[in-house]
Amino acid sequence: MKSQNWWLYVVKYLLVISACTFTLLPLIWVIVRSIEPDTGIESYSLIPRSITFENYPAAWNYPTVIDENVTLGTMLFNSLFVAGIVTLVSIFFDSMAGYALARKNFVGKKVLFWLALSTLMIPFYAVAIPMYIITIRFGMYDSLAALIIPFTASGFGVFMFRQSFLSIPADFEQAAKADGANDFYIYWRIMLPMVKPTVATMVVFKVLWSWGQFFWPLLVIQDYSKMPINLGLAMFRGHNITRWGLLCAGMIVATLPILVIFLMCQKWYVEGLSGGLKG
Amino acid sequence: MKRRVKENLIAYAFCAPAYTIFTIFLFIPIVWVVFLSLKDFSIVTFYSAKFVGFRNYLRLAKDQIFLRSIVNTIYFTLLYVPGNTILGLIFALLLNKPFKGRDFFRLALFIPNVIPMVVVSIIWSLIFSSSTTGIANRILISLHLKPIEWLSDYRYALIAVGIVLIWSGFGYRMLIFLAGLQNIPDELYEAAALDGATKWQITFKITLPLLRPTTFFVITTSLINSFQVFTPIYIMTGGGPGYSTTTIVNYLYTKGFSEFQMGYASAISVVLLVIILALTFVQRKIGREDIIF
Repeated sequence: MKSQNWWLYVVKYLLVISACTFTLLPLIWVIVRSIEPDTGIESYSLIPRSITFENYPAAWNYPTVIDENVTLGTMLFNSLFVAGIVTLVSIFFDSMAGYALARKNFVGKKVLFWLALSTLMIPFYAVAIPMYIITIRFGMYDSLAALIIPFTASGFGVFMFRQSFLSIPADFEQAAKADGANDFYIYWRIMLPMVKPTVATMVVFKVLWSWGQFFWPLLVIQDYSKMPINLGLAMFRGHNITRWGLLCAGMIVATLPILVIFLMCQKWYVEGLSGGLKG
Repeated sequence: MKRRVKENLIAYAFCAPAYTIFTIFLFIPIVWVVFLSLKDFSIVTFYSAKFVGFRNYLRLAKDQIFLRSIVNTIYFTLLYVPGNTILGLIFALLLNKPFKGRDFFRLALFIPNVIPMVVVSIIWSLIFSSSTTGIANRILISLHLKPIEWLSDYRYALIAVGIVLIWSGFGYRMLIFLAGLQNIPDELYEAAALDGATKWQITFKITLPLLRPTTFFVITTSLINSFQVFTPIYIMTGGGPGYSTTTIVNYLYTKGFSEFQMGYASAISVVLLVIILALTFVQRKIGREDIIF
């Protein structure tokens, strides 16, 4: 019995360690390429021949080749700006709607709830063409607004906030109402602070999602100065295949902010997953 | 009575911002795309669009490349869904009970999921690069195997994309399985252990059956995702060589936004919509209704 357990342990560690090697090796490889002198010869070693940080400023300034006013910093800013505004505004809009669906009684409540759920079933790609036409008609084509406004509400967020508002006892609300507080005050100052964990979860989900967007920016952004960093990288990939060191440095710049945010908020992400599962 | 009206109005005011966005950017488009699919237009000829009835759909049914893209998508799904589900399940089972290094391992397996898909695709197109320069081929050579033209051989290109998306996705499925495992009460395990059940028996007779709703959820959401694969293919293969990696969404993009046959692309959108809604319907009908995403 004892020896059998010992074997299981070895097999378990072997499996897990080989899986981690599979997931981490490509990432380590990219980091090594980004700090190795870029000689134009593809290298595959995991130990850098020598260390340099030249690739980073080179990658940072690479976009100036196409547009002298654009650096990787411009695109990084675009991504941060879009992710920041989308996250803030959509958490505000989602939580307001979620609050009403959880706490108010009104005509059509069931229908509105069902509509919020139905947005989860609509595949984004299937509505891309009409969305594209609407975006052009609103004069938002080739502007950051096109990357922000359509995504300032999500059925997923409405649903998650509704669930967490439902779980809060009614006493707090009634006490405030008795004191004559208005509805917005109750939502903003009393109820919203009580669902902080959901807010935190939604921040992680929305930032990750917004940062990873590619298809929609590809459709509506043409000007290099408006591109989010992921779209910019994909564009450079097209005419910059030979300089791997530079490309790898650019990819690290595009990944680092989101990685840091995720590592700081890991706990909320995992809680969101289990929360969604329990419903 | 008056209070009732006021209460209603306040609730609508709270809902208004979110539902305005939904209406403009989801509800109107979803109805509109059906009408657009009955027309023939590009973005330039939008105002003089010709009504062509079901002609776009008839054309689709005879379009060899479109049929190919459906076959490709299904082939890709056969790699993506089992790969992600099985690896996710295995590593959730292995990393469920506390042991030394568990949290690090969980993080290490999940981390690729945080990396933006564009970056993932570029990294892997370097790894899979042709002849002897990419690491994938270096590994094959060091194992005394013949190098493969991963991304430019029609036999391997879609498999390569499948490997990439399993790399980036199985950690996410693992986390969902772990969340599902948390819902299984410890007493069940304890009772089984008291009855003298072995680890294998516990896994196969208790854990897996109780995980069935989670498994069903993982499979159906993975199915829905895999029918919408776009970015890695756009970046890694561009749909080629030939049309061997063109999927439904890639074809939609090519028709709608490179060739600007937007009516035709709308018809593809409607077909995609029907497929996804059918999959979602199956998920809601058969699966647990309280699982949301």
